[in-house]
Amino acid sequence: MERMLKWVTLAAIATGLASAAGAQNSTMGVVVKIGGIPWFNAMEVGIEERAAEIGMDAEMIGPTSADPALQVRAIEDLIAKGVDVIGVVPNDETALEPVLKKAMDAGIKVVAHEGPGLQNVDWNFELASVDGFGEAHAQLLAEKIGGPGKFAVFVGSLTVPLHNAWADAAIAWMAENHPEIELVGERYGVAENVDDSRTTALDLIAANPDLKGFLAFGSQGPIGAGRAIEERRLAGKVHVLGPFSPGQGQKLVKAGILSGGYMWNPAEAGRVFVTMGKLLVDGVDIVDGMEIEGLGVVSPDAANRDIITDNLLEINADTVDELAAKGL
Amino acid sequence: MKGAYRRLQSEVGAESLPLLAFLLIMVVAFSMATPRFLTTANFSSMAFQLPVLGLLTLAMLVPILSGGLNLAVIFTANISGLALAWTLIKFGGPDGGTMALIFGMAAAIAVGAASGWVMGLVIAYTGAHPILVSLAMMIFLRGLGEFLTRGGDISGFPDQLNIIGHGGVLGIPVPMIIFCAAAIVWHVMLRRTRHGFAVYMVGSNIEASEYSGIHTKRTITVLYTISGVICAAAGIMMAARFNSVRVGHGEAFLLVTVLACFLGGIDPFGGFGKVLPVFVALIILQVLSSGLNLLGANQHLSTAVWGLFLIGVMAARWIAGNLPFLQRGKIH
Repeated sequence: MERMLKWVTLAAIATGLASAAGAQNSTMGVVVKIGGIPWFNAMEVGIEERAAEIGMDAEMIGPTSADPALQVRAIEDLIAKGVDVIGVVPNDETALEPVLKKAMDAGIKVVAHEGPGLQNVDWNFELASVDGFGEAHAQLLAEKIGGPGKFAVFVGSLTVPLHNAWADAAIAWMAENHPEIELVGERYGVAENVDDSRTTALDLIAANPDLKGFLAFGSQGPIGAGRAIEERRLAGKVHVLGPFSPGQGQKLVKAGILSGGYMWNPAEAGRVFVTMGKLLVDGVDIVDGMEIEGLGVVSPDAANRDIITDNLLEINADTVDELAAKGL
Repeated sequence: MKGAYRRLQSEVGAESLPLLAFLLIMVVAFSMATPRFLTTANFSSMAFQLPVLGLLTLAMLVPILSGGLNLAVIFTANISGLALAWTLIKFGGPDGGTMALIFGMAAAIAVGAASGWVMGLVIAYTGAHPILVSLAMMIFLRGLGEFLTRGGDISGFPDQLNIIGHGGVLGIPVPMIIFCAAAIVWHVMLRRTRHGFAVYMVGSNIEASEYSGIHTKRTITVLYTISGVICAAAGIMMAARFNSVRVGHGEAFLLVTVLACFLGGIDPFGGFGKVLPVFVALIILQVLSSGLNLLGANQHLSTAVWGLFLIGVMAARWIAGNLPFLQRGKIH
């Protein structure tokens, strides 16, 4: 009997946990890379806010580890649940193709984010284009330097495709628009490590007295280079830019050592997921020149099912507190 | 009547009937909580999800029965998948056809068996603890796989592979058929063959088995080799399910396979346990996870419920084993 009671209690806990979804609204499930990290917590807030505004039932599903196998399981369950739209931020594009095909065959609309190579999607949207992201950083650096000088580029590692693509775009933009600002060396693959970034930055400052700026693509690069600037008391003379975690860089930005950088807003991405889902359910065709809330005026690439926009969020002394407060 | 019940119990394991009862309660509870649960779509989805984890659990089961552990199951499956992918790509990728697929599967199984065999030899002949040996193997295979693929994935396989991952026969998913067949083979191997008997004896008391004339070293080598073979089957199925191979696919399943074994009443110290209760435990885990997903519960919460469930089962087992009024008529 005790054994029975235990089990019944457990079953009751399990069933009492959540309420079933309403019957009227369109339903949507967004499967992200991993749950419980600040980036996707912010995305979840965006999804829920937007869903409440436009009358969708949307939920975010964050697997417990960044394993594509878990994403496949979550999507299988969403298909079984019979949602109208599935959203996904893929860990591994190819691993999801079969299950997304199954979803589309079942008449479910599929929206992806950060999955430009996916085939079985209605649309994939990006808030930052590769070129736009690199160019925006180069442009900001040119503004900060405001004259001739030299700059150095850090990337996470020489084998990270995205960082190198950003670096390519930034260097090309600089060469074309500000030939007076010269690149020092090639690029340095140190930006995933604070210490390596710091020592490399110190060496470069020592070797190049006319060095005016660092572009660091890779989450730790701006922080490490910033520390080097702090040590040499060069704040305001040498500028450091790049995408970094606002919480980690907050103090350096406030001290004027980190000039800032760009990121895209995960909460906005969450809102766009729901907006796109609603458009697809309503059967709206997405065409060139159309304005979509959160994306702006879009020019979709119909062949690859990609909608790439530049909705960058600047991290600077004014915005860093708010971003850090969100845990980003 | 009573005799028949006893015989049934001794064949399928005393754990099976309570677990089945619990499974029934879960199914009823979820059906009441959401109308989506008792649907063909949901059951088909569960039947597609379960087999990969199921095969990996079978790979974990036999080493645990022998008093060991095989931490390398996931990466053995991955590296076997790589062997399959490599062969398929060599023989023409998407246009490779059935022969390429057969070669590829043979290659995958050979690689899985080889990795299991090496592990078995080391465990049997050096006497090193299986946790250490399989951990070393896991790290080696992971490193090797990441070195060979540079962490990327390989895809572009012939369509025939798709049948293994997504096909169905009379509405029953092919992966589920493969898994059920493997589970039956495992049951027969453990209950009806000399090797199975030797595994139980080695798990109960390896020294006594040695003195009674069981070739314990050979038993251990063979059982890890077989574990490697079933890992390879899981690797092939993962390649078919995801249409791609990458080192790290399914990494999250490693501890879940151990969980399923313990839920199914396999003795953590080896020697005792049966296949059917583990099979039921796997279904329970799947029902819990899919059911909670249908209700829209947080993923971390389903993990928590899995853990809670294991604690509950342990407690229930202790109560069943220690309360005097439940002992009437039981023979120890």
